[in-house]
Amino acid sequence: MASQLSFTGFAWKNLRRRRLRTLLTLCGITMGIGAFVALVGFSRSFEHEWLRLYQSSGTDIAVLESSLFNSSLDESLGEKIKRLPEVEAVAPLVFNLIDLTPDVNALVYGWPANSYEMDSLQFTSGRRFSAGQPQVVLGDLLAQNLSKKVGDTVTILGETFTITGVFHGGTALETGAVIMPLDQMQNISSREGKVTAFHVRLRPTPAGESYANYVARAQKEIEALQPGIRAEAAAERAGNNQIVDIAHAVAWGTSSIALFIGIVGIANTMAMSVFERTREIGILRALGWKGRHVILLILTEAAGLGFAGGLLGIVLGYTALRILSIMPQTASVVSTSISPIHLFESLLIAIGSGLVAGAYPAWRGARLSPVEALRYE
Amino acid sequence: MSSPILEGRALVKSYDDGRVAALRGVDITIEAGEYVAISGPSGSGKSTLLHMLGGLDIPSSGEVFFRGSRLGTVVNLDTYRSSQVGFIFQAFHLLPTLRAVENVQVAMLAISGRANHRVERASALLEEMGLKDRMKHFPNELSAGERQRVAIARALANDPAILLADEPTGNLDSVNSANIMEILHGIREQRGMTLVIVTHENEIAASAPRHVRIRDGRIEA
Repeated sequence: MASQLSFTGFAWKNLRRRRLRTLLTLCGITMGIGAFVALVGFSRSFEHEWLRLYQSSGTDIAVLESSLFNSSLDESLGEKIKRLPEVEAVAPLVFNLIDLTPDVNALVYGWPANSYEMDSLQFTSGRRFSAGQPQVVLGDLLAQNLSKKVGDTVTILGETFTITGVFHGGTALETGAVIMPLDQMQNISSREGKVTAFHVRLRPTPAGESYANYVARAQKEIEALQPGIRAEAAAERAGNNQIVDIAHAVAWGTSSIALFIGIVGIANTMAMSVFERTREIGILRALGWKGRHVILLILTEAAGLGFAGGLLGIVLGYTALRILSIMPQTASVVSTSISPIHLFESLLIAIGSGLVAGAYPAWRGARLSPVEALRYE
Repeated sequence: MSSPILEGRALVKSYDDGRVAALRGVDITIEAGEYVAISGPSGSGKSTLLHMLGGLDIPSSGEVFFRGSRLGTVVNLDTYRSSQVGFIFQAFHLLPTLRAVENVQVAMLAISGRANHRVERASALLEEMGLKDRMKHFPNELSAGERQRVAIARALANDPAILLADEPTGNLDSVNSANIMEILHGIREQRGMTLVIVTHENEIAASAPRHVRIRDGRIEA
């Protein structure tokens, strides 16, 4: 059977014609999409991990100071919150991202020894810490990165702590974390009597009321206790917290720049390609190809570049995310879970980038006069 | 007498704001099934006239009619080129990235149709041109005569009513020239197509039942 020619086959042959240029263009869009997959995937997984952290501990509301950074609340506020009728339990906490060694940093939490959040931790060895003691428990990933086990010590902000247990956390934020008694954390971070936030678990939702309404009502009551505080529903808090916001902004900003560079690369390639193929476009027009056929051909080539770059970018981005998830410096905040929606979105953005980049060259190609194009040398 | 398939009325083509005139008021009528040779010296306007009759170029003034309907207004130029006209060029104008059989199919991509029908038709046309063993060759693997035969197959792909050839033997030796002219005559006789050839070769012009001479953008009496 002789070779069958389709529209897409024709576009593919045109792309293969200048292999090096096509390859370099692919590199550009691959880098752009790779950055998008890795950075936006990173920030979204970060948000997702926060949400899972709340969900795994059964936290319904997080209470913080109404400031952008460094929330600081009086520990005594916890008692007032506890007295509200909707509230079942309150867990005060202090947390910070701290360098444990020059290469390894980790989220360090200070929790009361009897915090309800302790119940969600599954200890693989050892036991919980005791209040008032220089003791810590480590997430299993962090213990592995630090090569530490129960009975060893770890130095945090110049103080030495004994490891009493290693737990398996349900989220990347826990599995790479250190947890110590609240008073110890307040002491080493000079925040005596102060906490970063309160996590609140509500009593079961009353019959006839929706969970959302119930949480909203509790939020209002908590915020009425003291001016300058805000109570956020756990799901909202996971998406709104400042660290996540900054991660999102950096991810979108950086990947937008990378994508823009990729789009310019495709636009340049397609413009060069149309310029070089002026006479061929004239031949196609002489054969009866309408302007829209020429547009379709060039856009198919551009979208093909975007699609291929998108696929390669996804592989690159996922690989980058995997590397980040096992590097000691970032393992505590990154998981490799990428949602199918994010991958689909990345592919759509890649194809869309190709179409945007190919639009002007396609329009230019379609406007060529057949006879002028045929005369072109 | 049959009705005209093509008619050019008072065709003028000028460039550089009217300073250069390629055609200066040409009237021409071509009947369906007619074989017309247009000859003239270089720069006389013969190719420009052919381009206008084929809807490749538009006149600065004047009108071209296909079966009584005006090109560019009643008849869409793209549709006219894809379905009613087959072009053959001196420089063959094959696409270098496509095989012979794909070069023929590319003309059919502009009109709807099934892919397997396109490949079957392209194969049949190439076989008719004596290129059965050359279907999968790229243009640079074919001789000049073979390339022009692929171009003829491509011109016939959409079964046009008119074949327009612009110096079809201009890049060929005498043996291949004779072969190409024989093919074109055969096509016209078998299919009853209208054939218009632009040539500067007197022998070819003389072989046509009707010979139109053009000089300085005007048809000579």
